[in-house]
Amino acid sequence: MEILIQQLVNSLSVASVTILIGMGITLIFGLAGIVNFAHGEFLMIGGIATWFFVGLGLNFFAAAVLAMGVVGVLGFVAERGLFRFTLDRPMNGFIMSIGLSVILQHVVIRIFNEFQKSIPDPVGAVWIVGGVHIIAMRAVVVAITVVVVAITYFGISRSRYGMALRASVSDQSTAELMGVPVRRYVTGVFVYGSILAGLGGALMIALFPITPFVGSVVITRGFVVSLMGGLGNVYGAVVAGLVLGLVDGLSAGYGYPEWTDAYSLIIMIVILIVRPQGLLGGTLGPKAS
Amino acid sequence: MAALEITGLRKAFGGVVALGGVDLTIPGDKITGVIGPNGSGKTTLFNVITGVFPPTSGRVEWLGEDITGMRSHQIARKGLIRTFQQAMSFPGLTVLENVRVAMECGERRGAGAGPRWPSAEAILDFVGLAGRGQEEAGSMPFGNLRRLGVAVALAANPVLLLLDEPAAGLSDNEANTLTELIIKLPQMGIGVCLIDHHMTFMTALCTRLVVLDFGTKIADGAPAGVLKDPKVTEVYLGGEL
Amino acid sequence: MEYRELKMSTPNGELGKSAQSANSKTTKEPNHGLKGRLAAHGRLEQIIVAGVIVVAMAALPSLHIGYRFLSIAITTGYTAIALYGLGLQFGQAGIMSVGHAAIIGVGAYTAAMLYVHFGVGFWVALPASIIIAAIAGGLVGLPSLRVAGQHYIIITFCFCALLVVCLTNGGSLTGAATGLDVGSVGRVFGINFDKLDNYYYLVLVALVLSLAIFYAIANSSYGRTLRAIRENEQLAQAIGINIDLQKISVFMVSGAFAGAAGILQAYYLRHISPTLYGAFPSLYLALMVMLGGARLMYGPLIGAIIVSFLPEVMNLNPVDSRIAYGVALLIVILLLPGGVSAGLLDIYRWLTARSRALFVKTGLAP
Repeated sequence: MEILIQQLVNSLSVASVTILIGMGITLIFGLAGIVNFAHGEFLMIGGIATWFFVGLGLNFFAAAVLAMGVVGVLGFVAERGLFRFTLDRPMNGFIMSIGLSVILQHVVIRIFNEFQKSIPDPVGAVWIVGGVHIIAMRAVVVAITVVVVAITYFGISRSRYGMALRASVSDQSTAELMGVPVRRYVTGVFVYGSILAGLGGALMIALFPITPFVGSVVITRGFVVSLMGGLGNVYGAVVAGLVLGLVDGLSAGYGYPEWTDAYSLIIMIVILIVRPQGLLGGTLGPKAS
Repeated sequence: MAALEITGLRKAFGGVVALGGVDLTIPGDKITGVIGPNGSGKTTLFNVITGVFPPTSGRVEWLGEDITGMRSHQIARKGLIRTFQQAMSFPGLTVLENVRVAMECGERRGAGAGPRWPSAEAILDFVGLAGRGQEEAGSMPFGNLRRLGVAVALAANPVLLLLDEPAAGLSDNEANTLTELIIKLPQMGIGVCLIDHHMTFMTALCTRLVVLDFGTKIADGAPAGVLKDPKVTEVYLGGEL
Repeated sequence: MEYRELKMSTPNGELGKSAQSANSKTTKEPNHGLKGRLAAHGRLEQIIVAGVIVVAMAALPSLHIGYRFLSIAITTGYTAIALYGLGLQFGQAGIMSVGHAAIIGVGAYTAAMLYVHFGVGFWVALPASIIIAAIAGGLVGLPSLRVAGQHYIIITFCFCALLVVCLTNGGSLTGAATGLDVGSVGRVFGINFDKLDNYYYLVLVALVLSLAIFYAIANSSYGRTLRAIRENEQLAQAIGINIDLQKISVFMVSGAFAGAAGILQAYYLRHISPTLYGAFPSLYLALMVMLGGARLMYGPLIGAIIVSFLPEVMNLNPVDSRIAYGVALLIVILLLPGGVSAGLLDIYRWLTARSRALFVKTGLAP
């Protein structure tokens, strides 16, 4: 039983990173209809940047913030320089993002190398709660994610910007007529989503080593979570992430661990067959017909 | 000679009743018009007839066969072809390819087969797009796009053509040309049922008018009589003409 | 049927002004005038170009280009076959997939498993690989009937990941992470396919067949139907096209191509393993088909050639060459959406138009 709880807690921390990625993917798709394949690489760069700054002597949290900034800038450049030109042809944008992901991966390999990188555990403590050993950093990851989810939630549902954002998602042209600078929102959301990915990368490298190839693994989970929850639905991504975390924990604790990845994929496929719009219902993106 | 028989057709979208029990008979050898204020259910009627969505209740019979709830492409293959309010085409294909695709779909004989056209060019001639075969459909001006829509529909071998606002967005001249085109169809063996708002257009073309309001039929008969019907004028003008 | 009696028609029961005058000047006259000549030349040109390309490809081994280049040529060949399937799916029907490598994998593993567990060789496994991959293609295509294009792309990516997991955990059935070995291709007419030259010819024949099939489909009414679905699904349905059926059919055809590519790959490498058919390979396939151009006849082949030969020609290491691919893809998408093949075609047309104009001007036109 302790093992199960242990696994669940571990999975929760991994799920947190997945949730951050999934939220980014789903937010960006919801507003701009862009599916950014390179999102996984954004996470990877966030992690590598964190490792780099920690290597320079910064403490983890400073490094993480810097890394988030790096990825934010990267996102800004990508949106303004690339995706902006394909907003009316989202399929082209998607394919470009494939190219971008290949480029980013291999540029990182070229600058650094393709081997694993890791940093020492920033917190370095192990808590014992009710007989269960919990690595403190994992709890920190979960806590940070909860905070970010809350910020995103309140940002979208309560703030003026959130309202304008939701208006733009429902009806872009009307929002524009109402004076909402939709293009700027698209850039803003893209940067925000990228920063989330950067944060995910920083948190991930705090938990375990990463390689430049971690992007593709992560993006698969990010896609699964976004599709399952409903592409465009941020809460859906959170719920789906938790479900996935649960499945992973159970699988690692009880089932056949090698099939862990398969479970999430199969569940996603089943859900999409039964309910194509995802668990909580997504948007079709701004070009919905 | 009734080709299309609609009985008790109802369509509700959640709580909104778009069609509230419509009984209608549309002949296959005349031009019938469907008019009504915006939101009266005209396009929904077409959508339900052609299988875009199934009715909540009611029956659609075409050439003696019950087609209620059948899928759009199956219904189209039986000779019941519709056009759309927005001028639709296959934008990346040439005008000629647009028509050819429809002709290939339209190859059938027997019941549900309209009159045969000798070639795609013949259809283009008929709608006034002669010589434009190699133009890309997506870059054509709106008036020509409308003509292409009619050409594609004709190529699909209709017995009854359902035209949804074919004159929308056309200038008076263009609408007149369209009238001349449509008026020839019944003699060629193609019945027509059309929705539109241009009253002069409709009265010139239709031998019979059906009026819908809030999803129910409020009048049905010769244009002259229908337009004088107080129920109809009330709905359009809020009182007598 | 009374409503058909009053039709305005010629005695043959046909309609339209041109029925009345067979030589009406309103219809196109394809065999007169410069335009007609250009059209007729178009056909001839196509045949000449195809002939030249086939001859060039067939002559390759005789040029003594070396083992390494020949190997790359073989790889390019079967990759191009798979790309033609993807080209049909995406270029004609408009549905992209980034899981195509998984279908190739189905073809490869079918062949390998038949060999390892039943001792079945290449020639018998060939139809099996093709058919089973076609079925797999159709199955993977089912979700596209219910979700939009972008959702579907993600699903194909996930299918690919799923297949790799299943193959890796398939134990001795699928060879698990190590994979499976296959033997040699059985001799036919005494030809020894262990000789690289001969295997190259085998792949070449398959490639030419694929090209021919692609051409036939693209120019048939089936191809037109697919393009109609790509351009406007709603309208396609309204004129009687069963879009679900047609979509599944193109997925199956695409799968068949992938299956052929898979077995050719398996018997070339003599050993296959799950990582050959995962996420990266799928992405590179999508990249290649976009780079070359999915709609035009030689697009997929050009894409395969560029990606396979670029690192050799420019002497790039694998990492740099991949960066180059990525950059090339971005450039192509932004500037040349039809791919390199479309760019080449534009250049060719521009050149021939200029030369024709020159002929006309100087009165040399026949």
